[in-house]
Amino acid sequence: MSSSSQFKQLEKLGNGTYATVYKGLNKTTGVYVALKEVKLDSEEGTPSTAIREISLMKELKHENIVRLYDVIHTENKLTLVFEFMDNDLKKYMDSRTVGNTPRGLELNLVKYFQWQLLQGLAFCHENKILHRDLKPQNLLINKKGQLKLGDFGLARAFGIPVNTFSSEVVTLWYRAPDVLMGSRTYSTSIDIWSCGCILAEMITGKPLFPGTNDEEQLKLIFDVMGTPSESLWPTVTKLPKYNPNVQQRTPRDLRQVLQPHTKEPLDGNLMDFLHGLLQLNPDMRLSAKQALHHPWFAEYYQHTS
Amino acid sequence: MCEYSKALHILLKSPVTDDIIKFLTDTTLRVLPSSNYPTPPCSPGGKPVARLPSLMTFITRLVRYTNVYTPTLLTAVCYLNKLKRILPKDATGLPSTIHRIFLACLILSAKFHNDSSPLNKHWAKYTDGLFTLEDINLMERQLLQLLNWDLRVDTEDLILDLQPLLEPIKQDLVRSSDQRKRVGMMMAMNKRASAGTSPKASNNRFKLYEKQRNVSIASDLSSATLVDSSNDLRRLKDVTNIPNSTRTTSNYVKSVERWNDNVNRQSWDLEQIMSQHGF
Repeated sequence: MSSSSQFKQLEKLGNGTYATVYKGLNKTTGVYVALKEVKLDSEEGTPSTAIREISLMKELKHENIVRLYDVIHTENKLTLVFEFMDNDLKKYMDSRTVGNTPRGLELNLVKYFQWQLLQGLAFCHENKILHRDLKPQNLLINKKGQLKLGDFGLARAFGIPVNTFSSEVVTLWYRAPDVLMGSRTYSTSIDIWSCGCILAEMITGKPLFPGTNDEEQLKLIFDVMGTPSESLWPTVTKLPKYNPNVQQRTPRDLRQVLQPHTKEPLDGNLMDFLHGLLQLNPDMRLSAKQALHHPWFAEYYQHTS
Repeated sequence: MCEYSKALHILLKSPVTDDIIKFLTDTTLRVLPSSNYPTPPCSPGGKPVARLPSLMTFITRLVRYTNVYTPTLLTAVCYLNKLKRILPKDATGLPSTIHRIFLACLILSAKFHNDSSPLNKHWAKYTDGLFTLEDINLMERQLLQLLNWDLRVDTEDLILDLQPLLEPIKQDLVRSSDQRKRVGMMMAMNKRASAGTSPKASNNRFKLYEKQRNVSIASDLSSATLVDSSNDLRRLKDVTNIPNSTRTTSNYVKSVERWNDNVNRQSWDLEQIMSQHGF
């Protein structure tokens, strides 16, 4: 256990959902850290977001997951001491916008980031943890090109037969269609949909489905991916918010949607991979493990294993 | 282990019963075995302000006020047992310490396992003035530190810690599966008897059935399973010192029944629950 006097608080890095993050310096070791400060509201007690983030991240030691070094818990403040990262993927992509035109990342960088994202996620899923809030803001990067999953405030353990889950999870633009339609029995596939949205966003520099409410979000998804059919997704009609009267759409060619926003040609492997992540039917989506074995990543797994 | 996970599924989907409350009370009392003395009576003439209720009454009230889910209550058992392992054997406390321990375990279980859970100010209200918001915040913080924020519970933890509640369900499962298999076997034998084919063919088939039947007797009638499980139970009892009375309804339970009005006390409808969950 550290005490707060061990750290020198430096500039503010940002406001999280329930906390403020500062850069900090460990005075004993000279190592930079990120200090996530949670103000404790006495009526709430220790927030459940913090309880989950700490208990889940304590055990998640992986090079693509931000390390939680320590926790300082006092009567009115809770400080989480994290590994310091230079930037997040959202800010990094914003910084590349020229004028008003967003620009995607080079495809070899997209691939390297996506590979690391899925490595980190596969580790979470192996450890029976759902992240439930994957988005560019929560993917932290550093100057070495490393990418790490952060902000586990919405994360949750799965695998024991406990209560139903909330469908009010994941930032709207990255939320899977089954969850938008009220599913409470989702599992790891919820994070895979977000990975698909993030991949498309890295390619074009623009969010793939930037809806403003649940209904519009589903409409944007169906406009591109087509409306779900019972033949490809038999249980869709049983979802609480399934709407049989929604205007029928046929799937558009995803390559034609994305290609105008990037100079590099999008090859068949990449498009097949993206389709594997963005399946409407959650059971049809690739798992993180399967995704890492997709031919699009051939150059990586041929080197590593 | 498979039978136990089935039993666990059934248990976690069931309503909160008297047996569960009794089990929670016993588990909590074992966390601090050396401080189990009765509440001292009030001083003569003194106003009994928020008199300390028995632990079982306290738990029953919390269950009634919060409508807490069975899994939330039962995962709290894992925290209670973890705490028992952490605390020194001769640890003692105030008469209300066991109440605090139970409440803090329940709060952490609710916050960790559910997507929405009561605020601590609500928990304070549920104690009928026994604890203030400050008390609650303090007990929560202390328990987090004692458990070192380690709140993950897996299926194996639950099966081990809930063994006394799972055993009767498991035995029912074994019994009904034996029954199904016995019926299946009788049907197979009837079929064989009615199959009037050539002597040679039926002879061969007979051998085949004999073989299958022998195999199925060895594995289906589960005498091995039953012996194993009673050994398991004995081993578990040695480890956790679970009294035999856990599963019987005592007068103690009856004395708090007035707090129990809202607690659903219906017994298992095993067949119904099983068919709901596809067993």
